Amino acid sequence: MLFLIDIWETVRGFISTGGDVLYIVFAVLAIMWFLMIERYWFLLIEFPKYRKELIARWDARPDTTSWYAHKIRDFWISEASEMLKARLLLIKTLVALCPLIGLFGTVTGMISVFDSMATSGTGNPRLMASGISMATIPTMAGMVAALSGVFFSSRIEARAKTEVEKLVDSLPHH
Amino acid sequence: MKQFKTLLTVSALALTSVSFTASANAELDKLLEQVKKDRVSEVKINAKREAEFKAARDQKQALLNKAKAEYKAEEARQKRLQQAFIDNNKKITEKEVELDDAKGTLGEMFGVVRQSSGEALGRISTSIVSSQPKYANRTELLSKLAEAKELPTVSELEELWFALQTEMTESGKVVTYDAPVVALDGSETTETITRIGVFNLLSNGEYLVYNTENAADPKIQPLARQPEAHILADASAYQGQSSGYGSVYLDPARGAILNIFKQKATLEERYHQGGVPGYVITGVLALGALIALWKLLTLFLIGAKMKGQLKNTATPNTNNPLGRILKVYADNKDADVENLELKLDEAILRETPSIERGINVIKILAAIAPLLGLLGTVVGMIGTFQSITLFGTGDPKIMAGNISMALVTTAQGLIAALPLIFIHAIVAARGKSITHILEEQSAGIVAAHAEKEQA
Repeated sequence: MLFLIDIWETVRGFISTGGDVLYIVFAVLAIMWFLMIERYWFLLIEFPKYRKELIARWDARPDTTSWYAHKIRDFWISEASEMLKARLLLIKTLVALCPLIGLFGTVTGMISVFDSMATSGTGNPRLMASGISMATIPTMAGMVAALSGVFFSSRIEARAKTEVEKLVDSLPHH
Repeated sequence: MKQFKTLLTVSALALTSVSFTASANAELDKLLEQVKKDRVSEVKINAKREAEFKAARDQKQALLNKAKAEYKAEEARQKRLQQAFIDNNKKITEKEVELDDAKGTLGEMFGVVRQSSGEALGRISTSIVSSQPKYANRTELLSKLAEAKELPTVSELEELWFALQTEMTESGKVVTYDAPVVALDGSETTETITRIGVFNLLSNGEYLVYNTENAADPKIQPLARQPEAHILADASAYQGQSSGYGSVYLDPARGAILNIFKQKATLEERYHQGGVPGYVITGVLALGALIALWKLLTLFLIGAKMKGQLKNTATPNTNNPLGRILKVYADNKDADVENLELKLDEAILRETPSIERGINVIKILAAIAPLLGLLGTVVGMIGTFQSITLFGTGDPKIMAGNISMALVTTAQGLIAALPLIFIHAIVAARGKSITHILEEQSAGIVAAHAEKEQA
């Protein structure tokens, strides 16, 4: 229990030295990870069921070679890939936003540094230090958040692509 | 001729002189007589004057003697007085030593009283307790004690003690009282003030400061700029409380921290520091947000209508793109497959541009906003270096204005870009899914519908 309190205090100290921008970084990170987990859930649990049903439906069709059949197959594949790739653009955008938010924190931190310089001169570096930590910590947090997203989001995208290709292969014209 | 004239004149002169001598002889005798007579009387007068002078001389001698005697007497007196002065001085020194001996440790105490009353004077005159009308005139006795040259009386010592004790007791109290407040425009009003110890004054949920710059006329004044809203909300809640415990933001530096708020820029001031680039960025953000909202609205409407159409493929409705494509099939049911596909492709090509229109504008605006911020940064830095060439680097305050412009525009560019990028992602995803339905699925939908009809 004490251990948890210790961690909580460390986190709180981190946030208070980093400034309010950290909350935005955390919010974006949370949304990003929520969407990515949802994607993984869909890829690993929902989609196999859907694919099985689709293949069964295709196999049940008497006609798989006419123009109509071709178009219907395209329709199904497109629908499936639409499902697989839903919200991927949003995830990628969120990943791209993270360093920008960090940069925003850098700028607001520097503003507070120059504020303290304007009011009390350059004599006291301690006064500037809080602004500098407000500038650097969100930058770092934004970078870390983006890095955590880059890997998994590209993994999800590659996985979705291969799933679509697998589906195309599983719907032969017979 | 000339010689003759001279001769004539000389003879004339000789003639007159002879006649004059005859009458003058008598006159001269008379004069001689007169002189002889006068000499006799003059001698008499001189003798009389001499006698007078002699008498006066004797008198002066007596005066001189008298003055000399007086001088001697005064000299003797001076000597006596000098001696007395020296004696007295000696006596004074002796007596002072005697006094010091008699005072003993009391002398030390006198110093302590002076010092501590001086200290107390400094603290009490600037203390906000003095803002309370009840304690307005506490400094008189203290300043008297601090400047006194003689031993304080017992009652004065007691007063000093009471003053210190009062300050101490009051520093632990929260008190409410009415006092005049001088507003920043100079008008004076009486307000109900809550004093928290010796730290802060609150009135109407706002912080006041006790201005003692003019020692003769200290004033209670409102703070030039109040702290943030949540701090003030706490303050007014605290003032509204009549009993129990309440939380309030306290300035332990007795107003020094509150005064820093005066220097802090508000959000609005910050915004205006961005200057022209800042305003342009705001325009870009507003334009982008408007386009994005419009696109979001139309795309969701189209999406909803298409969903409805998808459920009912038999009756094409021309109010949505999918319906219009289905109508192409409905109009060309009897055409052969290749012809139908061409016609469908044509219909799809007609639909897609209107769906994608505007989405790229959002993207461009999102890209422009940080670039404008960068422009503002550069403009601000140019200003900074200009002021460095003019005034040197000695005063960071001169550079601060331009530097804050540089930083604020960067921040504004990012603030504008972040939501635009985010909303673009949503709009683009939506638009893409609609065009996918039209491009890749509409033919399939038509085919499925045809099969159903034929079955």
